[in-house]
Amino acid sequence: MSTDLSTGTSTPASVETRPPVFSVDGLWKVFGPKAETVPADPELTSLPPAELRSRTGCTAAVRDVSFDVRKGEVFVVMGLSGSGKSTLVRCLTRLIEPTAGTIAIEGEDVRAMDKTRLRELRRHRAAMVFQHFGLLPHRTVVDNVAYGLEIQGVGKSERRDRAQEVVEKVGLEGMEHRRPSELSGGQRQRVGLARALAVDPEVLLFDEPFSALDPLIRRDMQEEVVRLHQEEGRTMVFITHDLSEALKLGDRIALMRDGEVVQLGTPEEIVGSPADDYVREFVRDVPREQVMTVRRAMRPGECVGPDHPGAIAADAVVADAIQVVSRSHRPACVVEDGRCLGVVDHERLLDVVAGTELRKEAV
Amino acid sequence: MATVTAPATRVSLPGFLKHRAAAKLALLALAAAILVPLADAQWASGSWPAALTVDLTQPLGRVSDWIIDNRDSHPLFLYGFGYVSNAVVLSVRAVYLVLLAAGWAGVTAVAALVAWRVAGVRLGLGAAAAFLTCGLLGMWIPTMQTLALMVVAVLVSVAVGAVLGLAAGLSDRMDRVLRPVLDTMQVLPAFAYLLPVVLVFGIGVPAAVLATVVYAAPPMARLTALGLRGADKEVLEAVESLGATSRQRLLTARIPLARKELLLGLNQTIMMALSMAVIASVIGAGGLGDRVYQALASVDVGAALAAGIPIVLLAVVLDRVTGAAGEGDSGGGHTGLSRRAGWAYALAAAVAVALVGRFAGRLDWPGSWTLNIAEPVNRAVDWMTDHLYSGVPVIGGTADWAGHFTTWVLDPLRDGLQALPWWSVLLIVAALAWVIGTWRTALTAVLAMAAIGVLGVWKPSLDTLSQVLAAVAVTLVLGFATGIAAARNDRVERLLRPVLDVFQTMPQFVYLIPVVALFGVGRAPAVAAAVVYALPAVVRITTQGLRQVDPAALESARSLGASSGQQIRQVQLPLARPALLLALNQGVVLVLAVVIIGGLVGGGALGYDVVFGLAQGDLATGLVAGAAIVCLGLMLDRVTQPTERRAKKGA
Repeated sequence: MSTDLSTGTSTPASVETRPPVFSVDGLWKVFGPKAETVPADPELTSLPPAELRSRTGCTAAVRDVSFDVRKGEVFVVMGLSGSGKSTLVRCLTRLIEPTAGTIAIEGEDVRAMDKTRLRELRRHRAAMVFQHFGLLPHRTVVDNVAYGLEIQGVGKSERRDRAQEVVEKVGLEGMEHRRPSELSGGQRQRVGLARALAVDPEVLLFDEPFSALDPLIRRDMQEEVVRLHQEEGRTMVFITHDLSEALKLGDRIALMRDGEVVQLGTPEEIVGSPADDYVREFVRDVPREQVMTVRRAMRPGECVGPDHPGAIAADAVVADAIQVVSRSHRPACVVEDGRCLGVVDHERLLDVVAGTELRKEAV
Repeated sequence: MATVTAPATRVSLPGFLKHRAAAKLALLALAAAILVPLADAQWASGSWPAALTVDLTQPLGRVSDWIIDNRDSHPLFLYGFGYVSNAVVLSVRAVYLVLLAAGWAGVTAVAALVAWRVAGVRLGLGAAAAFLTCGLLGMWIPTMQTLALMVVAVLVSVAVGAVLGLAAGLSDRMDRVLRPVLDTMQVLPAFAYLLPVVLVFGIGVPAAVLATVVYAAPPMARLTALGLRGADKEVLEAVESLGATSRQRLLTARIPLARKELLLGLNQTIMMALSMAVIASVIGAGGLGDRVYQALASVDVGAALAAGIPIVLLAVVLDRVTGAAGEGDSGGGHTGLSRRAGWAYALAAAVAVALVGRFAGRLDWPGSWTLNIAEPVNRAVDWMTDHLYSGVPVIGGTADWAGHFTTWVLDPLRDGLQALPWWSVLLIVAALAWVIGTWRTALTAVLAMAAIGVLGVWKPSLDTLSQVLAAVAVTLVLGFATGIAAARNDRVERLLRPVLDVFQTMPQFVYLIPVVALFGVGRAPAVAAAVVYALPAVVRITTQGLRQVDPAALESARSLGASSGQQIRQVQLPLARPALLLALNQGVVLVLAVVIIGGLVGGGALGYDVVFGLAQGDLATGLVAGAAIVCLGLMLDRVTQPTERRAKKGA
């Protein structure tokens, strides 16, 4: 039942072959009376949400979702409110108990874990950043950051040192002794981020962490996340309802609707080949030249000349190619590993921007 | 948008309600048409039929006699209540001795420094001034007695309340069990708690402390549970996501997050404890309350005032200091160290003052430093009696007013109620309760009223009820008028706020002093005291309710050109309906509490039965009256209980 379309060409090959950190298969979360009967009954599972509710009184927040989160990637789950994405991320560490399906973290079955083992998972392996921060108002910044370590039983001086390190890493030096109420929204979320980082988890889970922030601050924080990911290469699962955020951060994106994953793929795949009308409508206004890569725009095989004029990398975005081509007024070569893969010209680039390249291919 | 919605709800709501209310009333009328002829044929009588009463006096009397006979011999008392009783006596005694050993200078210094650390310089000075005034009035020893009793009662109340609150906050089942009990305890008059404890412990300090604990623990329990349940869900989720155990979650998140509610609970518990510690003078609490009680018994207003002022000062200081503790965020510029240092300095200073006092040999308040206000006050009261009681031209005298109020309002109301056939009283109760609330509240109210009849105290209960009704009517007229004025005019509200603040913190008992000075004794003074006591709460709730009306709705009405009167009548009052009903409910509960205490100043009826029972050792009479008070309280609360109250009455 896996809808894994992740043969994305732009993902570096090394990530693709890495082992999955989280492996989710056939996951269901149903709220309501006798919820556990719903996923098991093929007649009920095929019902649309409204009918399921009227028949059983149950709501399926997550319906038969499968995906792998690979080590070191930023996996974005994106969808509108009520699409089940927040429930999904909570199921990963069983903050919400899943109804059916399997979840494995590095091959270990999460649903089979006992209390102690589950606590270990939450303490050391997966830490979460929340939409409304979830900070303890009676503690200072540094004590909030050290809270996860305190829970683990780390000694006071050690956890203070480690917290101090993380506080500096997220750019909160000098605010260690303030209370959350004395911070701005962006600063609070930095504390939330630092608290999650302090326990040095294998996976960071973000539940719409920046939706409560102003646009400018949101951009800062997104860049912060990109920076952290580049520096540390930590695996991240990122929930958002903001498409541009998803495209900006995600190595791969799972797009959810009514509890189901409608499409899973790289940003380019989502924008370039939407799985259905819903996704197409969703990505309609995306500036395609910022997302699509040259690899997709080029005409394969033709080389303009042995010196490869232009020489654009295959995974550069179309916007870059437009600059090169319009400056030189001639087609440019697409080069990977010193090999010429093809060329891009005015027409191909314009097709991508206009979103007409697929139709032409179909013809 | 709001323009459309506001008038739309106004138009549709009464119509809808009228419809439902009419349906309920029709159903009730049908039931009455069948039941009343049957009941009337069986037990035709204006008052409650004797055939339907159960005389509890004799069995209760036997129980009370048995307890008195066996108090010193039966193992239940020797090894059960005896220990409790001894522990209470010992701890009150110990606290009292500590207070005396600290001397007046030491106690004042500790109070001032604690107030300063918790709530700032102004309150520190205020606390010092308050304690010195107590000494100045010659009330140092009684103040210490009351304080000792309160310290013990508050400690026990907080412990009991916190444990119950923890249980209710953490377990849904405990919450379902405890909540209705605590809610009901909150609406019962203080007097109802006195007799059961006296039955078991006899008159004296243990009974007083335990009655205080029973009265003061519920707010702590309610607010603890509220605080634990109201914690930010996402914070708790975040704590859980980090892998906290449930114990860690409780200690590092839930309890600290409930800090505000816990401190508010402490504040309310202290205020309730003070109120009850004063009332408990009736069952041997001693201290300030006893001075007031004795003075009122001999209508010595001066002496009552001398003891009443320290009570008021104590109440205001305790309320402000604990209230400030709840509001202070304790963050700001203070770091942990400097705060600790501040406390250390304060402690050292207090000990130093106490030692200086000790070595100077001035432990007791010096006798020459007292100011006898009883005599001048009594002279003033005498002058008032002579000049203001009656015969003042045009307006008449205060005693005349009281007399007129009694003959023109209270008497007809009482006689009318008592002349009504018993079944019609039940019907009226049922109809009112059902229209305002649900069939459940109506059923409880009717059963409570019927229980009063069964207990055989129908007549005195209706007497009390008539006083309550009169007082509630006056309270609502004054309260709503003032509330509307305060809601519409900021200056009025600014002027009223400090007055209301002080009035709301004063123990019920103190209100009896000025009304006795003004009106003498009787039912009218009891009603007056009840009005004054209930008025601040009604004004406050009304003002808040009117001010919280959606500003957009009001603005849109104004933009359509509504006059002030139209704004009040068509937008504010309908939208503030829940608040007004809550004000009615609170008004009724508060009025009942004081009308009952009015038994001490000639209010008669149920309150008098309780006092009489206590004074004569006739516990059976008192207990029956106490049970009737409980039923009356339940009935009045349920009749005025709007369906949405549960959510509203958080604090």
